[in-house]
Amino acid sequence: MSLVVAAAGALGAVCRYLIGGLMQSRVGWEFPVGTLVVNLAGSFAMGLIVASSSGRGWSVVAVGFLGGFTTFSTWMVETLRLGLPSPRAVLNVAATLAGGLATAGLAYLLVG
Amino acid sequence: MVLAGGLLGSSLREVVVSLLPPSPFPVANLTANLIGSFFLGWLVARRERHSATGLAISFWGIGVLGSFTTFSGFSVAALDLMRTGRLPAAAGYVAASVIGGLFSTRTGLRLGDRR
Repeated sequence: MSLVVAAAGALGAVCRYLIGGLMQSRVGWEFPVGTLVVNLAGSFAMGLIVASSSGRGWSVVAVGFLGGFTTFSTWMVETLRLGLPSPRAVLNVAATLAGGLATAGLAYLLVG
Repeated sequence: MVLAGGLLGSSLREVVVSLLPPSPFPVANLTANLIGSFFLGWLVARRERHSATGLAISFWGIGVLGSFTTFSGFSVAALDLMRTGRLPAAAGYVAASVIGGLFSTRTGLRLGDRR
């Protein structure tokens, strides 16, 4: 089972690489919007899964996928690369943090 | 490269989760995120000094460390603490993750920037 979860995480990493990279190049901003979108989408999906079906087999695999899909370390490095305490770095922290909690919270509300 | 790295990173996170005792406070998540942030900072600084290749960034950075650390686990864990009324624990978890993460990343960047 744990190998299946790890494989799902690996697939999540590839999706992050493709979706985040595509988003970033399309938008063309210096601001790390690719990581932001991936993390908020992943938080929303994680909220849906945890609120609806925690503990079931498929949900363990889905959680593994989202663990690989979203990333904390890239968020941190990109924030520091924007030059903390610049407004853009602070915005990246605030938008990711508030957005992650809000999207996960929205998912909980939707599942009810 | 990203796929192989993601396999290793996700496995390592499972190892951390299984090694740490189960706790109401998401300590495994916090540990993985702080350690992963430190090493990604270090790797990025090495890259900028040209001693790490693009291949290393794909495998170790995007794959292993990107998957080892998790944002969705962080946000849902923080939300769970809030929902269950443990607001001081939620605030502590968020502060420890973000401030600790920025600090460990900066430490990694500085160490990686040395010769």
